[in-house]
Amino acid sequence: MPEYTLISAPPLAGYDKDFTGAALKAPGDLAIVAVALPLKGEAAAKKAIKAAYGKALPEPGKSVASKDGARLVRLGQDAAFVIFTHATPDAEAVVGGKLKDTVYVTDQTDVWTGLEISGPNARTALERICPLDLHPAAFAVDDAYRTVMEHLGVLIIRTGEDAYLLLSASSSANSFLHAVETSITNVS
Amino acid sequence: MIINHPLLGPRDAAEFIYLGDACLIDRPDWQAEDAAEQFYEYGYLRDNPAGEHQELWYHEQGDRSWLVVTRDTLSHKITKVELARDVAVARGRG
Repeated sequence: MPEYTLISAPPLAGYDKDFTGAALKAPGDLAIVAVALPLKGEAAAKKAIKAAYGKALPEPGKSVASKDGARLVRLGQDAAFVIFTHATPDAEAVVGGKLKDTVYVTDQTDVWTGLEISGPNARTALERICPLDLHPAAFAVDDAYRTVMEHLGVLIIRTGEDAYLLLSASSSANSFLHAVETSITNVS
Repeated sequence: MIINHPLLGPRDAAEFIYLGDACLIDRPDWQAEDAAEQFYEYGYLRDNPAGEHQELWYHEQGDRSWLVVTRDTLSHKITKVELARDVAVARGRG
């Protein structure tokens, strides 16, 4: 009987392409852990997050980069993501270990696929598929919102002046990539 | 239609799912004497006002929060948007 070896690989692993005025890249080793604040345990959870990451948990719709490079993204009143670079499949244990038992953690690493879009045309390309107001006055650096693009759920984080991290479901990763690529091509 | 989310600001209605009358928040006591009658009303009977209406919306493509939206059914004008959690707490729950 032949021996099979399974290799784990994110759906868009290694994708990196330059367009006119925009670059699109799938970040490698992206780890995502969902953090839920327990009812009536919010204060203790926020204290533990501050102690572990050196930054306070931001308000809903905002994100903050900690000193060790992890990004804390507040999605709603009692939900947040910790997004960081981590190659081994134990992201949940890493975040859970840091925050002890003050929060509920769930590994979301393989559920999402990431795309980094950057360059002077990035916002123009996103404006065509994103229903949010992306004007710098309305969507500041580090703002993070969930929304829909081409009917696909997306978490969009503005990581720099002209840089955005987009997260969408890994099961429809190639459809999402196609939507973003098409929009970039249409504006370039 | 734009719904002004209390935490996240103005959002397109496409991000939301409509459930119905906000009276669904007030689930009857199953141990009450007339529980069957109360659940019949809770499950099936709805007012159909021409004017101000409180309704539940779910921000599925967003932060997954339930909202109580006060909307005029004649003009579709939205006058108030609250988190359902806050409404329930204000009514002595949670």
